[in-house]
Amino acid sequence: MEQFEPVIVAFCCHYCAYTAADTAGSQRLSYPVGVKIVRVPCTGKVDAKHLLTAFEKGADGVLVAGCLVGDCHFKDGNVKAARRVEFTKKYLEEIGIEAERLEMVRMSAGMGREFAETATAITEKIRALGPSPVKGKNCCCGKAA
Amino acid sequence: MITAERKPLEELLGYIAPYSRILLLGCNECVTVCAAGGRKEVGLLASALKMAARKSGKELQIVEHTLERQCDPEYVEEVASMVAQADAVVSMACGCGVQQMAMRYAKPVFPALNTKFMGGSERQGVWDERCAGCGNCLLGVTGGICPIARCAKRLMNGPCGGSANGVCEITPDVPCAWHLIWERLEELGQTEDYLEIIPAKDWKTAQGGGPRKIIREDLAE
Amino acid sequence: MQKKTKLQSNGSVLVVGGGLGGIRAALDLAEARKDVILVDKAPCIGGLMTQLDRTFPTNNCDLCTVAPFTAKDSRGGHLDMRGLTTVTAVKGKEGNFTVSLMTAPRFVNVEKCTACGECQRKYPECVSFAPGLDPRAPTCMRYPKATPYAYVIDMAKCADKEGLKQCCPVGAIETDALPKVEEAQCGSIILAAGAALFDPSHLDYFGYAAQPDVVTSLEYERILSASGPTGGKLLRPSNGQPPKKVAWIQCVGSRGLQKGAGAYCSSACCMFALKEAMVTRERFDSEIETTIFYMDMRAFGKDYEKYLNRAKEQYGVRLVHSRPHDVLRPVGMDKLQILYTVDEAPKHITEEFDMVVLSTGFKMNEDVKKLAEDLAVELYADGFPKTDCFNAVATSVPGVYVCGTLQGGKDIPETMTQASAASCLAGAKVAVTPRPKAELPAVTPECAGSPRVGVLVTLCDHESTALDTTALVEYAKSIPHVVCAAAFEAACDPSSFDAVKAAILANGVNRVVVAGSSPRYELEKYQAMLAPVGINKYLIEVANIREQAAWVHAGEPAAANAKAKQLVAMAVAGVMAAKPLADHVVPANKNALVVGGGVTGMTAALELAGQGAKVCLVEKTAELGGVARNLVKTIEGGDVQALIADLVEKTTSHPNIKVFTATEIVDHSGQVGLFRTGLSVNGAYKEIEHGATILATGATPNQPQAFLLGENSRVCTQLDLQKVVNEQPKEVKKWKNVVMIQCVGSRDADNPNCSRLCCQSSIKNALAILKENPNARIFVLYRDLRTYGRFEEYYQKARELGVIFVRYSVDNPPKVEAAGHYANVTFTDVIMGRQVVVSADCVGLSTGFVASRKSNEALAKVFGLPLTDDGYFAEMHVKLRPVDMDKAGFFVAGCAHSPKVIAENLTQARAAASRAMTVLANDTLVQEAKFAHVDRARCAACLVCVRACPFDVPQITVDDKGLGRSYIDPVKCHGCGTCAAECPAKAIQLNQFEDVQILSSLDQLLAKVNA
Repeated sequence: MEQFEPVIVAFCCHYCAYTAADTAGSQRLSYPVGVKIVRVPCTGKVDAKHLLTAFEKGADGVLVAGCLVGDCHFKDGNVKAARRVEFTKKYLEEIGIEAERLEMVRMSAGMGREFAETATAITEKIRALGPSPVKGKNCCCGKAA
Repeated sequence: MITAERKPLEELLGYIAPYSRILLLGCNECVTVCAAGGRKEVGLLASALKMAARKSGKELQIVEHTLERQCDPEYVEEVASMVAQADAVVSMACGCGVQQMAMRYAKPVFPALNTKFMGGSERQGVWDERCAGCGNCLLGVTGGICPIARCAKRLMNGPCGGSANGVCEITPDVPCAWHLIWERLEELGQTEDYLEIIPAKDWKTAQGGGPRKIIREDLAE
Repeated sequence: MQKKTKLQSNGSVLVVGGGLGGIRAALDLAEARKDVILVDKAPCIGGLMTQLDRTFPTNNCDLCTVAPFTAKDSRGGHLDMRGLTTVTAVKGKEGNFTVSLMTAPRFVNVEKCTACGECQRKYPECVSFAPGLDPRAPTCMRYPKATPYAYVIDMAKCADKEGLKQCCPVGAIETDALPKVEEAQCGSIILAAGAALFDPSHLDYFGYAAQPDVVTSLEYERILSASGPTGGKLLRPSNGQPPKKVAWIQCVGSRGLQKGAGAYCSSACCMFALKEAMVTRERFDSEIETTIFYMDMRAFGKDYEKYLNRAKEQYGVRLVHSRPHDVLRPVGMDKLQILYTVDEAPKHITEEFDMVVLSTGFKMNEDVKKLAEDLAVELYADGFPKTDCFNAVATSVPGVYVCGTLQGGKDIPETMTQASAASCLAGAKVAVTPRPKAELPAVTPECAGSPRVGVLVTLCDHESTALDTTALVEYAKSIPHVVCAAAFEAACDPSSFDAVKAAILANGVNRVVVAGSSPRYELEKYQAMLAPVGINKYLIEVANIREQAAWVHAGEPAAANAKAKQLVAMAVAGVMAAKPLADHVVPANKNALVVGGGVTGMTAALELAGQGAKVCLVEKTAELGGVARNLVKTIEGGDVQALIADLVEKTTSHPNIKVFTATEIVDHSGQVGLFRTGLSVNGAYKEIEHGATILATGATPNQPQAFLLGENSRVCTQLDLQKVVNEQPKEVKKWKNVVMIQCVGSRDADNPNCSRLCCQSSIKNALAILKENPNARIFVLYRDLRTYGRFEEYYQKARELGVIFVRYSVDNPPKVEAAGHYANVTFTDVIMGRQVVVSADCVGLSTGFVASRKSNEALAKVFGLPLTDDGYFAEMHVKLRPVDMDKAGFFVAGCAHSPKVIAENLTQARAAASRAMTVLANDTLVQEAKFAHVDRARCAACLVCVRACPFDVPQITVDDKGLGRSYIDPVKCHGCGTCAAECPAKAIQLNQFEDVQILSSLDQLLAKVNA
């Protein structure tokens, strides 16, 4: 049987994780191809709605990658993001989606290796969990085949 | 402001189990401010309901909409065509809004929220109860602190024996309303008000007298 | 016969050489609003970098990142670029040079030439440039996308002039064109004409002249290059077959090893060879065995040690410590044989290889030497210019500056740094030339119109072996609303932008997706480029198919291609949902803040102040001077204390500089041109306003717990040792044995990078000891002796004077034990194959530097700046923007960037000042439309935004209907989007990142998942 390749949406702060992903690229530190990056100006911009929508549209996992504690360009956007992630995890549990599928991580711009390792570790974790329980062939997002 | 909290998803899923086309209706007033039923929460609940339903093999069609105020008939009228397209309405308004909808439309209307109390915000994300709507306000003699809404026993003349170190015996998170009143009166130099005996309250003006109504004759048509 | 005209330009700077260094210097000056004339004898710009396949440490070609800025209409008209032009005479002196410029005819009318290539086809010997592998031809386009985009003819080599003239379909060939001679006035001159490469033809033992499969490193680069003779296929020149084993031989033409070689180290070849080996395995065949024969692996730059480790560990590049003595090809054999010995065993080894690459070093270019002589610039015997020991870009002639490989062998980041430094000094001599500023384009609803998306795939084949750009373009065309898509292969060529602009206009494109590298590099460039054709800068989206697909998934082409398509689809969805926006123009503050009062900070402050900027210099301690206060002399003999005294005197007395000692940075806000920083001056709060910031906070001398440091009085650091030699010569005279141990606390797990300066400092100290006490026996225990550049000559001198250098391996480090009056050092001598014990009077540990992590972290937090893994400040682009930081208006210099010697710190200080002047020269500042806006009809005035904003920007204000609603001041908003994420009424959206943009991108990203 074909190996399950999880699709992971990574909301990455422009100032840290997005740059870390660029660093991973320039150092050719491969990470799983299923990890797709959405650039945001700060993780403080990441709305619970974006997180739920990612799952609704079929993501197997969602990563919110912000700056190290205290390093936020906007003082505490990363702290607010972490609170929203916790809130959303509870919502996910109510829905019946494993809360571990959503994760907040923190890194600095120079941490290309950490980005690649985190992306790989999360992919492995989600692979072990299997496909998202709400991912259906007959989904409603209008593009269903 | 009226405060509310979202009901557990499971309960909502139970209500809407027979239906597949849902109108999910928010309200841009109190429930928006208390982060329970504004546009944002409508969006979250819509996603959540769809995903939860999909888990059990069902595809929900949810139309999201938020009214300026769900407790007024004119606003409620605006969604007539949307209601017509839906099998059921899930309202994210307070109980007033839910009933306004139910009165207007001959479709099942389910509450998505538990309406909690009339309250105010202490700080971002925290609300507490301040008013019980008794219909006969005492705040003028209690230093601006309500012993009905904020005392578990609704005592009118000082604290009970369970008040210790300024907190209520029910839980240490709740300050004793009468302790607060005393501190406040002291601050205002009005401790003599404390000695005034408040006579037994006439609860007719409260819910005890049955459903209440206000009619402003100059305005009412 | 020659036409002679006089150029109408006063107060220009002349930059000779259009390579990366020359371009950088010219751009810095033009951006600081000073007139520049950039001349190059070649017909096009780009220099050596245009011939490189890829560059370390990112393993990519970045010409496309620099070249667009040299476009004709850019840089406010301050840049005058001339190809085929040489300087024939120079008169006058600093502030008033008169230079004669001769522009050779290209025999092709650039205005008429369509670059159809007909002349090249008719004359089959006409081929593009590939040094050493192709004969140079009469018509020659040097690299495929050369600027300007037209051919050039070497008429001396043309036999049939008439035939050549006739073959051109547009009559662009002018066989009787004449050279043009002009005179120009200039205040200063920057020589940036590069260096030549060592020619190994005469070294018969390497077989270069006789064996086609022995190539130089640049020729190998051309073979790897997509624009090279094999079209980007790695094939053996002898038989056209792919090689299985490739070897590199280092130090050919450097370190005085061969006949005609320079005594210096060329500084860049080790990294160059590592890169070629890595690229060979990554891009061509991971089965190809790559072996580098080296003497010392000199990976001394910032993070280069990590690159070396990656080459060994991730790519399996084999490193052999050996100097092969012969490269042979026995008769009848297809393969080459390298004969060498290794340290461990005294026997000859013969190993077969398919190709051998000679890592040839730099040498002085004869033409440049001639020009330098004409200018009366003093030269070393090897022809390179002599420069001041504290000012590596200043020659012996005032007003004449040098940078890049012309000054001495070096890599690209150092070239860029020197170029900026040279432009700082040269620019100080000329005034700002006012030019009218272009008006900002108006934003009208028509900007958006009904969406017509153009997709530009800018990633060239060069960088995207994993990606099929043709298929990507075809896919892009199939996306709804995409009206045109094209692979724009000449992103490195400013003149080819015209074709792109034409396509955009012809197709009525109003939104653009650029599929290339990270938006961190691409966005600003394309915003500027596409503004003239009416594309609103906020209707451009970048699909990062380089970092996020081509590079990370280089090993899985199918996955990389699928992902690239998805990224393009996402970007199209995002740009479809985007809205046109207008920028604001506000007055800019023209003052600077320099943080750090060491030699670097003082130098930067003085350069800025000298150009008229008001500077606030902040020093944490009570005294100026920094770590350099502990130094006595440089290896060249420069008096560090005199330097400090001079800098302190000038800094404290300069009317434009305010010095704050015992001062810490406590808070910071604003943006480039409008910064506000709070200082605690001796505990009192003070706020200053500034337009640019230079960080020069230095680094900390390392004090690792190793080799009894701090426990035994005989053991000290090189810094302490230097003091002892200076202050207690009597003690030194008594010493019999001195042992120095290199790489203590560097190149290990805790501090993986090389501290760069320790090798030269141990040699400096060894020479100083020998001067006091010629009988002292000095042992230097090292891993790789990294005396790059001219430091190599001091290394040779130390060896001649009897200093004993012994290599140790990291698995078998020396041991230091207390032994009464002495410290006993035990180490293994590989050559003798046994352990040696030395009773040392003094053990000098080369402990190097570590980042001042704690204070850097604190500063990084206040300023919002990134640090590297090891705690140094991270620059924006390791290669092309070595002193710029990710946050606009911030620059880094000195040891805060990475450890380096004083002269290098000062060069970086000048470079940072030059870059800061490009900001401070502007009177106004364009503020990006990156702010949150409120839909007041939706707002419930709930106060969530007011409470959530980290900068207290939103306010509830009463509108004309008397309703209290949230208002966010666009000038004050920082654009983080927290309010937008928390608004319960969804009444707030953040420009450029509106929910609809994010959700449409998500839709596309996940479209395939559910399909």
